[in-house]
Amino acid sequence: MLSRSAQGLYWMGRYLERSEFLCRLLLLQTEALVDRPIREIHSGWVRIYDSLHRDPPVGSLELLGSDDFTLADSYTLADHLTFDRSNPDSIWSCFAMGRENARQMRHCISTELWASLNLAYLRIQKLGMQDIWLTSPEGFYADMAAEMNTFSGVAGATMYRDEGWRFMQLGRFIERSQMSISLFLSQLSEDARRGESSEADWTRLLRFYHAFETYNRRYSIQVRPDQVLDLLATDPLLPDSLCRSLDRTAADLDSIGPAPDAKASDAARRLAGRTAALIHYQWPDGEDRRELLLQAQDHCRELHHLLAAAYFDYAAETFPGR
Amino acid sequence: MNFDDYQLEASVYDEMFDPAGAPREHCRELHEALGQLSSEQLSSIQERVTRSFSNEGISFTVYGDEEGEERIIPVDCLPRVLPGAEWRQLEKGLDQRIKALNLFLEDVYGEARIIDDGVIPVDVVRDCPQYRVEMRGFSAPQGVWVAICGTDLVRTNDGFMVLEDNLRVPSGVSYMIANRKAVKASLRRLYRSSRVRDVEQYGRLLHETLLELAPGGRSEPCIALLTPGVYNSAFYEHMFLAREIGAELVEGRDLLVNDGFVYMRTTTGLRRVDVIYRRVDDDFLDPLVFRPDSLLGTPGLLHAYKQGNVALANAPGTGVADDKSVYAYVPDMIRYYLSEEPVLANVETYLCRRPEDLEYTLDNLEHLVVKRVGGSGGYGMLVGPHATPQEREDYAAELRRNPADFISQPTLALSRSPCLIDGAFEPRHVDLRPFVLRGRTTRMVPGAFCRVAMRRGSLVVNSSQGGGGKDLWVLED
Repeated sequence: MLSRSAQGLYWMGRYLERSEFLCRLLLLQTEALVDRPIREIHSGWVRIYDSLHRDPPVGSLELLGSDDFTLADSYTLADHLTFDRSNPDSIWSCFAMGRENARQMRHCISTELWASLNLAYLRIQKLGMQDIWLTSPEGFYADMAAEMNTFSGVAGATMYRDEGWRFMQLGRFIERSQMSISLFLSQLSEDARRGESSEADWTRLLRFYHAFETYNRRYSIQVRPDQVLDLLATDPLLPDSLCRSLDRTAADLDSIGPAPDAKASDAARRLAGRTAALIHYQWPDGEDRRELLLQAQDHCRELHHLLAAAYFDYAAETFPGR
Repeated sequence: MNFDDYQLEASVYDEMFDPAGAPREHCRELHEALGQLSSEQLSSIQERVTRSFSNEGISFTVYGDEEGEERIIPVDCLPRVLPGAEWRQLEKGLDQRIKALNLFLEDVYGEARIIDDGVIPVDVVRDCPQYRVEMRGFSAPQGVWVAICGTDLVRTNDGFMVLEDNLRVPSGVSYMIANRKAVKASLRRLYRSSRVRDVEQYGRLLHETLLELAPGGRSEPCIALLTPGVYNSAFYEHMFLAREIGAELVEGRDLLVNDGFVYMRTTTGLRRVDVIYRRVDDDFLDPLVFRPDSLLGTPGLLHAYKQGNVALANAPGTGVADDKSVYAYVPDMIRYYLSEEPVLANVETYLCRRPEDLEYTLDNLEHLVVKRVGGSGGYGMLVGPHATPQEREDYAAELRRNPADFISQPTLALSRSPCLIDGAFEPRHVDLRPFVLRGRTTRMVPGAFCRVAMRRGSLVVNSSQGGGGKDLWVLED
């Protein structure tokens, strides 16, 4: 397929995945606003911005003493992360970019996928923070996250499993891996900063990965950070676990086959396999998971560049027979 | 809902009613069906049709708007109906026209016999900015310069006339198909019983035509559709057509030329391209030959084309044949090349390059439509009867400065067709743009993009100027 089309589908996958990730983060955060202590709400915002590697629009997030201030800030922050057109990491921006890539690559995706994306776009386009804040922001994020799942379902049910599909999937899984690693790392940093870990935070992480019940069954009803991380990073049966995302990345790369720049595509394939193996086989039992996660994060970034070099921006040197 | 308040004017042909106010024979069924629907039912049909456009993102971009803003083209849910016999006549005329225009292009870039024989004055061609000296001496493969043509036809009380030929990168065919799809789904029973001829095979016909143009000896030619990109007003159409014909949708930067052959960058490496259906204007096609600042084109493309290693549809340089001054000579071309009388009439045209025509134009500005010879899309034209005295004066000053840049035509009473406007039937002016394909033979689907001037009294049907569309039903006999 045309390199630019493959690239468009790859980015579409990445952006849509990112907006889904953000929806789920904000869903949990806005739920917390209802009944959690100010401290926890505060650290929730820190974690979100941290995992995006971004600064909040209100400057540094100083812990303010008053409930009113934190809740007022929360409105600003939620708006910044949801509807702010000027924030490239807002749900709106990511979704609009995903949809824009889809629009430009409409001839490569199924009509059904396009229609469901476009309908959601037309609906959200009209909304602003004031429309959702007073009634039920959680409801909005939950619906939106469900809608994102619908896109995956519609895509899975209607799209031909050609290269375009693979590149779209690659985008999703690389993005998901990177976001997961960032989220784990920011939680670890937050724990380190405070010198203790918060059970509520880790519970929320479990719920983020739809893994709370699984954890209770497999481990215990007592939430222990190291065990939570074990489950979220290394359990191949958990749909969104890190190792599963990395496995899927490696598998999709394998099925795409060699690129015009075979050296780069070989390197990408090896790196993807190595990164998955890192989580599968070198996951430490003890303390230093942070190091390993940092390493995996670097690998994911490099993988992105290798992909581009191999399939999208390769040097045109070999001309096929006429 | 009835047509009691629907107004007819003797000077304007109505597509549904005869001058006595009775529905025309071929419109009776539609008329009766509409009469049985309530205003609410009709409004909900209209709503459904509009919504299907917006849901599917059938959009276009207007230049000058915020970059890339997507607008939905207004679409009216009431079809315009043509009897089969009328269509056959149009078909005959269009076939004749595209043949003559191709022969003219082959001639005008070759021996220019038509000029030597005094049929067309040399300066009309020489001064035409769309005449591409780069194409001089070139002979198009199989004589096909124009493979895809969109001809604008209007009807007055005197019958059908050709308003202009669009021989460069005509657009609108996707709206023809989208209109049909939406209207068919909303007027199901009526559509079935009316026995409307199908237009959905357009993609197949286009594909067959493009395959016929492929350089010889290529067993499975690779077809690409070249688009200027997502900010182009017709990007939706480019995407739609690429999908219909199974072609890659490429931009200039996806292509490269090596040793006279064209390649596109794919995920498995470079792949040779055999046929390019280009929707990029000549100016931007190849920065080595045309505008050097173009980022939309591919360096070396024209060379590859002239070598015969890739087919371009349409060929560069076809604009000389749809120039508004040259237009005036198309009937003569038909007589000259085909020895036939034109089936379709031209609109009377005054070439302001001729002093007597300029004088006539200036004297009658309030009755005439004045257009720039190289203009398109309804930009920069003056509709005399609708302009203010000041606008006419400003325009006259420009006319005097560069008379050769303008032509004028009588303001035509374009026919009107009923539209659903704010829940009532109202007449609006319409034209139609059928699409004609030319490979080894002429192909066309029985249908057209029917354009509607949505503003009351307006004669401007261009979508960039507030025009909309409606479905055209050509009936089986």
